[in-house]
Amino acid sequence: MAEDLAVGGGGGAAAPDPDGPDGVRMTWNSWPRSKVEASKCVVPVAASVAPIRSSPSLVVLPYSPLHCKPPCAAVLNPFARVDFAAKIWICPFCFSRNHFPPHYAGISEANVPGELYPQCTTVEYAPPPLDAAAPPPLPVFLFVLDTCLIEEELGFVKSAMRRAVGLLPDQALVGLITFGTQVHLHELGFADMSKIYVFRGTKEITKEQILDQLGLSASGVRHGAVAGAPGYPKGPQANGFHPSTSVNRFLLPTSDCEYTLNSLLDELQMDQWPVEAGNRPLRCTGVALSVAAGLLGACNAGTGARIIALVGGPCTIGPGMIVSKDLSEPVRSHKDLDKDAAPHFHKAVKFYDNLAKQLVNQGHVLDLFASALDQVGVAEMKVAVERTGGLVVLAESFGHSVFKDSFKQIFEDGEQSLGLSFNGTLEINCSKDIKIQGIIGPCTSLEKKGALCADTVVGQGNTTSWKMCGLDRSTCLTVFFDISPSERSNQPGIPNPQLYVQFLTNYQNPEGQMRLRVTTITRTWVDGSNTEELVEGFDQETAAVVLARYISLKMEMEEEFDATRWLDRSLIRLCSRFGNYRKDDPSSFTLHPNFSILPQFIFNLRRSQFVQVFNNSPDETAYFRMLLNRESVSNSVVMIQPSLISYSFNSPPTPALLDVASISADRILLLDSYFSIVIFHGMTIAQWRNMGYQNQPEHQAFGLLLQAPHDDAQMIIRDRFPVPRLVICDQHGSQARFLLAKLNPSATYNSAQEVVPGSDVIFTDDVSLRVFCEHLQRLAVQS
Amino acid sequence: MSSSPPFVSGQPRPRPGFAPSANPNAAVATHNPQIGRSPPPYGAPRAASPSPFSASSLPGPPPPFASRPPPQGAAALSQGLISSNGPPVAGLASQRFPPPPPVQQTAPVAAPASIRAPPPSAAPSQAPGVQSFPGSPPAVAPASLPLMGSPASQSFSRPPPTHTPFAGPPASQPPFAGPRTSQPPSAGQPTSQPPFPGPPTFQRPFAGPPSSQPSFGGPPTSQPPFAGPPTSQPPFAGPPNSQPPFAGPPYTGPPTSQPFGASPTVQPFTGAPYAGRPSSPSYLGPQSSQPFSGPRTAATPFGAPAWSSQPRQVAPSMPGAVQAPPTMFGMPPSTPGQSMPAIPPALGHSSLAGPQASTPSKVDPNQIPRPMPSSSVILFETRQGNQANAPPPATSNFIVKDNGNCSPRLMRCTMNQIPCTGDLLSTSSMPLALMVQPLALPHPSEEPIQIVDFGDSGPIRCSRCKGFTNDTPRDYYCNLGPDGRRRDADERPELCRGTVEFVATREYMVRDPMPAVFFFLIDVSMNAVQTGATAAACSAISQSLADLPDGPRTMVGIATFDCTIHFYNLRRPSQQPLMLIVPDVHDVYTPLQTDIIVQLTECRQGLEQLLENIPSMFDNNKVAESAFGAAIKAGFLALKPTGGKLLVFQSVLPSVGIGSLSSREAEGRTNVSAGDKEAHKFLQPADKTLKTMAIEFAEYQASCLVCVDIFITSQTFVDIASISVVPTTTGGQVYYYYPFSALSDPGKLYNDLRWNINRPQGFEAVMRVRCSQGLQVQEYSGNFCKRIPTDIDLPAEAFLMQIDSNKTIMVTFKHDDKFQENSECSFQCALLYTTVYGQRRIRVMNLSLPCTTMLSSLFRSADLDTQFACFLKQAASMIPVSPLSQVHEQITNLCINILHAYRKFCATVSSAGQLILPEALKLLPLYTLALAKSIGLRNDGRLDDRSYWISHVASISISLAIPVVYPRMISIHDLTTKEDDGSPLALYIPLSSEHINDDGIYLLENGEDGLIYVGNMVNPDTLQQIFGVSSVDGLPSQLVLEQFDNELSKKLNDVVNEIRQQRCSYLRLRLCNKGDPSGMHFLSYMVEDKSPGGLSYVEFLVHVHRQIQTKMS
Repeated sequence: MAEDLAVGGGGGAAAPDPDGPDGVRMTWNSWPRSKVEASKCVVPVAASVAPIRSSPSLVVLPYSPLHCKPPCAAVLNPFARVDFAAKIWICPFCFSRNHFPPHYAGISEANVPGELYPQCTTVEYAPPPLDAAAPPPLPVFLFVLDTCLIEEELGFVKSAMRRAVGLLPDQALVGLITFGTQVHLHELGFADMSKIYVFRGTKEITKEQILDQLGLSASGVRHGAVAGAPGYPKGPQANGFHPSTSVNRFLLPTSDCEYTLNSLLDELQMDQWPVEAGNRPLRCTGVALSVAAGLLGACNAGTGARIIALVGGPCTIGPGMIVSKDLSEPVRSHKDLDKDAAPHFHKAVKFYDNLAKQLVNQGHVLDLFASALDQVGVAEMKVAVERTGGLVVLAESFGHSVFKDSFKQIFEDGEQSLGLSFNGTLEINCSKDIKIQGIIGPCTSLEKKGALCADTVVGQGNTTSWKMCGLDRSTCLTVFFDISPSERSNQPGIPNPQLYVQFLTNYQNPEGQMRLRVTTITRTWVDGSNTEELVEGFDQETAAVVLARYISLKMEMEEEFDATRWLDRSLIRLCSRFGNYRKDDPSSFTLHPNFSILPQFIFNLRRSQFVQVFNNSPDETAYFRMLLNRESVSNSVVMIQPSLISYSFNSPPTPALLDVASISADRILLLDSYFSIVIFHGMTIAQWRNMGYQNQPEHQAFGLLLQAPHDDAQMIIRDRFPVPRLVICDQHGSQARFLLAKLNPSATYNSAQEVVPGSDVIFTDDVSLRVFCEHLQRLAVQS
Repeated sequence: MSSSPPFVSGQPRPRPGFAPSANPNAAVATHNPQIGRSPPPYGAPRAASPSPFSASSLPGPPPPFASRPPPQGAAALSQGLISSNGPPVAGLASQRFPPPPPVQQTAPVAAPASIRAPPPSAAPSQAPGVQSFPGSPPAVAPASLPLMGSPASQSFSRPPPTHTPFAGPPASQPPFAGPRTSQPPSAGQPTSQPPFPGPPTFQRPFAGPPSSQPSFGGPPTSQPPFAGPPTSQPPFAGPPNSQPPFAGPPYTGPPTSQPFGASPTVQPFTGAPYAGRPSSPSYLGPQSSQPFSGPRTAATPFGAPAWSSQPRQVAPSMPGAVQAPPTMFGMPPSTPGQSMPAIPPALGHSSLAGPQASTPSKVDPNQIPRPMPSSSVILFETRQGNQANAPPPATSNFIVKDNGNCSPRLMRCTMNQIPCTGDLLSTSSMPLALMVQPLALPHPSEEPIQIVDFGDSGPIRCSRCKGFTNDTPRDYYCNLGPDGRRRDADERPELCRGTVEFVATREYMVRDPMPAVFFFLIDVSMNAVQTGATAAACSAISQSLADLPDGPRTMVGIATFDCTIHFYNLRRPSQQPLMLIVPDVHDVYTPLQTDIIVQLTECRQGLEQLLENIPSMFDNNKVAESAFGAAIKAGFLALKPTGGKLLVFQSVLPSVGIGSLSSREAEGRTNVSAGDKEAHKFLQPADKTLKTMAIEFAEYQASCLVCVDIFITSQTFVDIASISVVPTTTGGQVYYYYPFSALSDPGKLYNDLRWNINRPQGFEAVMRVRCSQGLQVQEYSGNFCKRIPTDIDLPAEAFLMQIDSNKTIMVTFKHDDKFQENSECSFQCALLYTTVYGQRRIRVMNLSLPCTTMLSSLFRSADLDTQFACFLKQAASMIPVSPLSQVHEQITNLCINILHAYRKFCATVSSAGQLILPEALKLLPLYTLALAKSIGLRNDGRLDDRSYWISHVASISISLAIPVVYPRMISIHDLTTKEDDGSPLALYIPLSSEHINDDGIYLLENGEDGLIYVGNMVNPDTLQQIFGVSSVDGLPSQLVLEQFDNELSKKLNDVVNEIRQQRCSYLRLRLCNKGDPSGMHFLSYMVEDKSPGGLSYVEFLVHVHRQIQTKMS
């Protein structure tokens, strides 16, 4: 059975656009009607939504949407019943009848507006701006550079910055903050000389203090209406207008300050404060971010802004400090966190939590680029990054391609563009009997309670509206639903087999225009205990991902939570519920294809970095989880269960079992575990390569074989953000561990006698998939 | 000397070397005539008034003589000296003589007047001489004058009857009287001249100024006395009192000065900066002029008395000294004159015959004691014949020869004899205190202080009291000579000098000597920029960079501030400085660990460029707030690693950040007008923040010592009471430019800054005064950080961030035991400091004074200048803590108590109806009155002005203390016509509005400010010449004194520059026009006038007299 499962997994990943045009995938596509039924389903009813996923078929409508009457306020969609004669539409959510407004007068069966096309379940409205004259607000990029770096790293940072500055759109506003022991805010608009505001690293500083100290406090801003920070009605310059009261001293259009920025970068030196022997450099990341956030607080509301933090080490002073400067104290590990032995952790998290709240209020994003061999505090900063929808990249050096290329991608245009958007809000409407527990993913609850809010909360809940300060095309949210039929709907005879969910995403696209994306989906209700239908509607990939996200959250939120055990139990319950078997007869056990790969997913999930955190630092764990939460289902599946492709002379590239057995001396394997891509050369291949056969014309084929996985790897890398780490290794080489760690240990030192020459073994005590499945079968059929 | 025009052109070197040249003397000689002239005003007629003086002279004399060399002999000596000086001297001498006669004349007159005010004359002339030190801060000559100031006595001309008492003296007078006929004088002179070779010059003066002649007329007769010393002297001797009177006349007669070549006065003109300075002259001027204008010849008083007195005192010191002078002509030769003045008082008291209080109106204002300038230089030996010599007046021009006691510049005592018991001291009511000015500038022709390096072993100290050697040999033995002294005593400065410097060893350092670090803080808030204060500060700093000591030890830093603090990183690869802003003004920090303070050599260019840019960079600054407190805190943090000087340029009220202040002025006003008893609270710091901070700066032995100097260039209230806490605690100073004018003030700002940086100074100083058993230190006061003494048995030490040539510290003593009569009481002041060149030194100053059980000796040896400086400081310290009326009462009582003590125990001879003043203290009432009317003690002034006054006075030196309360006023419209009379500075006018005419232009200076008063009827030509405008209406409101191409303008510029040199301060000139507020301001300095806030001088004397009488009965 294991083999079947493995093959199935490979097939699933290859399916074309599994997300469909709506970018919505659900664990269950047929929903049980009752709460009890739902709980028997084990896997929660949830949807993975990519709110602004780019799609070639997307229809953009240049007018404002029609809303149902409050409090429903759903937007007109293809599922509405339209009475063309009476010019009336009936909302599928609340069944209210709405008249079409006068400008829809021409509507008829033959002349249907775009939003009513049946295939247009997802449309985007691009109403003309209220004030056509005002240019759209320009995005702000505020760079926050760490200068407590060694010379070499600083050089890398500078060159990355230079490239970024070159790529920025001319009109984008740029600001620069550097920090070490103190925070330096550069006033780019000061012509006479380099002018820097210096903030001390040791003292927590509020937004009001910052604005006050920068001369940007309320009174100042009022006068200094922001010349270039557009979007807002700029009356004739107010009395007392003076540039010194405007945030535009610090944020300038790229075109105006490119020279200044470059010369600043040229002169930028390592932090001048001395580092005592045996100590870490004093680095005040927390204050630096406070200052950045505070500064952006002076921007007009509605301005999209990103704080792009390049951090090269742990914060050692002031708020947000994660470790003392004394080198004899190591940075906290998972073990410390478990034992509550990380003295700075909770304070730092609290600090970043507040920072996140401030940023969300302002609608600004924090992006974190951490590059260091040691931890820099991603675990603490996670909350600020995730709540604001920021990007995060963890690399081991600013010179590493993981950082360099990812950083570049942010600013690139065109195909590569991430489509960075700002100021998103997501609202969800759904049919009655459905409530929303919350969302896991890069967003923040706006605490807008309504009838649709469930009692139990998962992630960002207690609301029907979420803020996404930053979002991009791949941003993905997991919405957890609760099924709680009201008394009335339990009454038999209500003929409504369909349920509807509508996602309304307001956002400011990279060009600064406000858009409204409306996605309306429908699914069917399943009555009673009709397992058959439920099984048909099950999406095991989504289920695996949702479970991964769900337990990640639980691991963070609940102390003493035993994820492995929880997963095992859930899987067993699921299998008992949906498997076909005779009681107490393990051998009789079979699973429907819609469930067949799930055990393998769970097996890999149990072994993955999401559950087995002790192999990683808290920073890495936080990083992995953040990406898990924001990536699409198919990418997330790869994180859970990497894909493996085998290249050999005998066959075209084929998916291979994620098993140690796939290793062979004359094969090249390409492992994609999302965060890293490993090209693994079998022993023989490596020898041939070392002897240079690929360069000999008669062995051209070998050359091609060698090249093929590289080409494929590049393809994967190009589409992915953050850029994965590329590892090229040979069998028995030290780097081979990147592959071996992911493989099913079907052959270990315990089973060495079975080893085929050219194959490999994994030195582990972990159970293999086979053993895992055997146990599963046995437990599932127990009465 | 002519080469040094210090302050004149903005750039002068700080302390021009003093280079007396022969020429000047010659010039002097010719000028002398002028001196003679000054008296012109004296109308011959006045003769009558002077007489009182002579009369007064009587009483005291005999005893003094006894103790000192016989008067006659002295006189002889003096003459002898004179002659030895050589021709030039002679010339001068002749002039002087003339004056004396007048005195005599006056004397008779005076007698009738009954008022026996001490005749001031002679002293004044000396003072001018002293001043001549070029770069050196002007010694305040005036002080000496006061003593001589007998002329004042004249004022009480009234009741003839009183004369009778004087009768004794009158005898002497008569002789002079004869001479009175003004014309004759010339004739008289000739006679006097004979003794002195260079007669011709004298004649001139007389001839030239007719008016003066009259006065001279007197002199002739007097001269004879001198000529034939013995005979003449007797008369004088007899009436010592009369001598003082003569002092007054000194101008004309300033015999003392003349003998020496009269050079002093002359020199000034010749361009010798030194000469000009004597502030004392100013005092003289007024007096003399008045008398002249009026009928009486003030002149008369002078000559005679002065001389007689001189001989006594001078005699001792003179001999050796006199000879030296000739070579250095530039220098005023006449020590005698000065020393003399002091003596005369000793001789007797001058009784101001205030016959009956009921008849005050009869007091002749022209006869009241007033300070008299002297223009000659005194040569002063600190010890002679194993006895301490009484120092010349602090304001006089003197050269010190240190032969056992330290120079009086460095340390002088309120009395030159120490009372044996505490009872005696309290009976006298006088204070016992030392004024220590450890780095005072020496006269250029004084021998430099010797430096002794004992190598590693360090200076030898007493094992018991830790005193520094005068004698504690170790491996340091030496045979005694035949005279019982060590043979090597004269070769070892530490054994023979009153002052030596030891090179300190390691054990005197808690760390390496600090480098010379200068950190500039400039206010760039909106007001500062718009008023031009920022630009002025930048330019001043920029120019001053050149004056900073060279070398790697000199480091600089700079920051500007408004509501934030802007540092500048001066060490940058791109040469372009980097501005680092510290925006948190509630909790300050430095933006860099290094590179804020950089070696000057490394960053000079960048810094200059920056200073040039700052004004334009902040041109549009709209920030009106100023974070002064935070800025100095930040500066302190920046200086923390090294310590150093913080020079702050502040323009507005500190309104944000640490130590921000609120405008208390308005509040203060209403309270004052409401008669609030708490009004003085506004002269106290608003809160403790700044004080606490300042103490932190001054934490001794902490890692740093920071000294803060503040330049306040303001047009509004800045609450100096609060701000000044910082400089006073850290040993710094407040400079105040109010109202700041971008046009006229930058010059002063620059010169003040330059002097601040350049003057001799030391860092990390600790001072301790030790004294003989019997006394103990009671308190130190001045600008430094007072520490609570941890060890009660030891006198506290004074810790100073910084000590410089201007700073004076007052040390008071109290008895804890008795002294043997005839023993000596020694004081030793040790100052441990770091020189600007980084050497650790100990300067040890010793002063040994005889002890006495005689109250009269105490009074005779009283040092008015020092005592007054002491009162001044005490008054200043009281102002912020007591209601004003109480302060007034206290200072008046001080004066009354002293005079009463004298009257009661020393002057019983005279009739009860007389006001008797001790000779040495005869100006005490005048100064007391002036003090009561000074800015700090008036409640109609601005709070800031008063606070500034208080802080200014706290560390002021003795020589500058007098002009602060009793400024010098001269007329300038007639400068050219006065040309031949001697230094215009010697011709000062009494501070009374009677002497101000509508067609005159007057200059009044108090060492800081120069007020030019323009009457409304001034001759347009004069206006044109001086100001370049043709009418009074055309005068600019802000004055920049230009030098036009005409005699008068040049002359005026010379005078102003001379004053600047004397005062070591760049006179801030302001125009005052009659009729507008500036004119009122000017008139408020007329302390002798009756004013809403106080009595007139005459009334005050009467008041004092009454009080004494009350006490007596």
